[in-house]
Order: sequence, then structure tokens, then C-alpha cells
Amino acid sequence: MMNAYILISMQPGNSDKAIAEMRKIEHVEKISVVAGEFDIVIRVKVETLEELLEATNKIQMIQGVQKTTTQVIEKEIAL
Amino acid sequence: MKIKIRKRYLFFILAFSSAIFNAIGSAFDAISQIYIPDPWALGIACFVFGVIVSGLFSIIFSIPYKKKSLGAHTIDPTFKRVRLLKKQEVKYHLIAGFGNAVLTIGYFFLLSLMSGDVSIVLPFTQVVILYLVIIESFSEKDTPSLVEIQSSVIVTFGAILGSLTLSGSINVTALAIVFLVINPGWVLLSVYQRKLKMLKIDESPNDAINIRVWNVIFACMFTIIIVSIFDGIMGTSHVIAGIQAITDQYFWVFLLAITTFFAFVFYIRALGIGKASVTQAVKASLILFSLPVSLILGYYGIIPSFTTDPVMLVIKLMGIVLMLLGILSFALTLTKAYIFIRMKPGYEIQQTMKQLWNIKGVSRVTAVAGPYDFIIKIHTRTLVKGYERIIRKVESIQGIDDYSWQSVLKEWEDI
Repeated sequence: MMNAYILISMQPGNSDKAIAEMRKIEHVEKISVVAGEFDIVIRVKVETLEELLEATNKIQMIQGVQKTTTQVIEKEIAL
Repeated sequence: MKIKIRKRYLFFILAFSSAIFNAIGSAFDAISQIYIPDPWALGIACFVFGVIVSGLFSIIFSIPYKKKSLGAHTIDPTFKRVRLLKKQEVKYHLIAGFGNAVLTIGYFFLLSLMSGDVSIVLPFTQVVILYLVIIESFSEKDTPSLVEIQSSVIVTFGAILGSLTLSGSINVTALAIVFLVINPGWVLLSVYQRKLKMLKIDESPNDAINIRVWNVIFACMFTIIIVSIFDGIMGTSHVIAGIQAITDQYFWVFLLAITTFFAFVFYIRALGIGKASVTQAVKASLILFSLPVSLILGYYGIIPSFTTDPVMLVIKLMGIVLMLLGILSFALTLTKAYIFIRMKPGYEIQQTMKQLWNIKGVSRVTAVAGPYDFIIKIHTRTLVKGYERIIRKVESIQGIDDYSWQSVLKEWEDI
């Protein structure tokens, strides 16, 4: 099992609709709308790299998504 | 497809559900008291039934259905089946169980001391929120902010006013029991239940149902031991009376045990999300939910009927408004952020991770592969603190090349 962050830059426009689409995607654990360099940060939980590709692919297919950057988590400390 | 909702809502749903079950439970509590007037016996009966009911429900919830247990479908998604304790849990369970026993015995002692009418001192058990705020300023990674202290004080005072009834008399012994026995017991119970909920068992989060089952078992054990010692010294026979009460008056105690079970399972789940003080504050809404319950009980003459004294009503109303405001400000003031960090080459990753983790307010540190080297998650009540306590510390870590702060505006999460 592995986790990854997908950082998303959006085109200005209908982000509500894009987020609604993202909420339906499998393996997506958390969606955060952020203010800063990026617009949306998604956390995914997948079994294989194949599934990660599947998830990023689906995200990129959503209208309004301009660019995605995937950050695979290697190690984690959390509360 | 699983539903994603906002985690904040989930927390409030859980804490409110716990409060509602508790409010209903308080009705059965009042009725049981009539049938089992000996408070010590009632305490033992409650715990023995608690063990039976919790055991029964946990077995029902362990039944598999569509690959998952019934419990995972309904109550707690992390629940697999009822299981034996792991070594790392035992210590925490001993303390939480002891806390529960102390608080219950303290409560029943209070009942017998005040010959049944504890209404005037009981509101002061809400001060436990302030105890938790103080404890957490030492134990949690995040020291309480001004907003948290303010809201806790508002909720506490609101809860005291909202639950005030002036039928009994007040005395120093009774207050001492509340402040020195009941509240510390409750602190032990909630702090250690939170620790248990945060533990990882076989790589997955601990579940609320197992925590509750084992807590009742330990609490029951400690209660019987303490009451037996008391019996031995004073020459009374409360343990036997307790066992008799179980066989005579099982119906109401049984209902009481069921509501208590659910109240605690939801409470423990909420504890897994929010700090003990905040969870406790939201749970103080119990006072609001218990209004209809006391109206009904008063109508049937089980408890003295609801006050119609306008002064008391105004005080109660003020208390409830204060409490709601306090809870609301807890809900609206939490801000979250991500910080994306790039490192210079030539610095130890593990060591930097530890340094980042030691910063207060950091709830998650991840080392990642990609354009950035670390992504950390921040929880804070004020953005001012974000700069003072977090950015400065991040900047002071050697080896950090660049960072970017991303405030979270809205968040959805799998539950």
C-alpha cells in the first residue's frame, strides 16, 4: 500500500464542478482546496503504481485541471 | 463508492450523537435510581450490565457482512472484530478503567451523601473541560490558543448555568468530591481513551468498539475491588446488594447500559478526531439535548418538574446561549495548512523529519518523492501563531532551501 499527494493547478472557471468530479474518484482519500502556489491538494491511497496512474489519469481528464504534480510519500509521521 | 464528507462535520455528528445517547441514558439513570436506591449497588449493577451489553453488541457487530463486519458498516469503519488486548494497550486501559471506576464511585458516593439530589453540584462536573485544557497544554503537541481557552471557559460556564437547578443544598464536601474525585477520574478516562484511539493496532487505527468493551471490563473490575474494600472496612454489603439489584431490576439497568455503550462508542470515535477538551466541550451540548428528556420525566413526576421561575429560566437560557457560542467558535476557528518544503542536498532526511515533527502545531510530516522533499500538515487556531510558532521554526532548520505555505480553504475526507 502507498500514499501520494497530487498537487493540482486549475484554470480559473468552474472549480466547484471539478471538485464534485474529484470527490467521486476511487482511491481519493482527501481533497483540500488551498490558497497558494497550487489550487487543490489531493491525497490518494493506492495498492500499486498502476492504480496511482489510474487516479492521476482520471484527475487529468477533469475539465479545468491545468497541471498535476504527483508526490509519492516515502515516509510519514502523523498524530 | 464511499462518501466523502467534511471531517469537521463528522466530528460534530459524532460528539452530538454521543450527547444525545447520553441524554436518553440520563432518563434511564433517573428511573433506575428509583428502583435501586442504594447508589453503590446501582454502580455495580451498571458496570456488570455494561460488560454484558458491550460484550453482546461487540459480538453482534463482529458478524461479517459483505467482506466487512457489521460494526464497520454502521458504527466505526475501522472495527474488524472484538479481540484480545495488545500489550501496548494494557497500560492505557488500566488507567482509563481506573479513571472510569473512580469517577463512577465518586458519583455514587455523592448521590448517597446528598441523599439522591445532586442537581446543584453536578453542573460543576463540566469544569472538567478546563482541566483538560490545562493537561493538554503539557501533553498535546499543540498548546491551547487563546481562542481555545476562551471557548472552553465560555462552554464551561454556559454548561454550569444551563444545568443549574436549585432544589438541593450545596456543601463543601460535595464540591470537593466533584473537583477532586469525579473530574480527575473523568480526565484520566478521556485522556487515555484518546491515547488508545490514536494507537495503531496491526498497522491500522484502533477502533472505538474494542476500546469501549475493554474499558467497561477494567472499570467493572476496579469498581468491584474498590466497593469490596469499602464493604470490608465499613462492614456494609453493597457488593451483594449490587448483585441482587441485577437480578431484580434488570430491565432499566439494561436500557441504561445500552445507551451508555453507544454514547461512549461515539465519544471515543470523536476523541480520535478532536482533542479531548474540544470533544468534551461539544459533548456539553448534552445539557441542551437533556431538556426534552427532563421535561418528559418531569411530566410523569419521576423527577421534580421543570422550573417555571422566570429568573431560573433566564439563567438557563443564558447558559445555553453561551454554550452554543463556545461550541460554534471551536468549530469555526480551526485553520489548516500545508507547507511544501525543498531541501538543499547533503542533509539527513530522517533528522530533518524529526526536527519538523518537533514543531508545535505540525500534525503530519511526510517525506515525498517529486519536486518537493517534504509536505507537512499544520493545524492551528490562529494564523498569527502560524507565523510566530511555525514559519520561524521551519526557517531555522538547517538545510531547508525553500518552502511554500498553502492555507487550506476547504477539505473533504473519506470516512
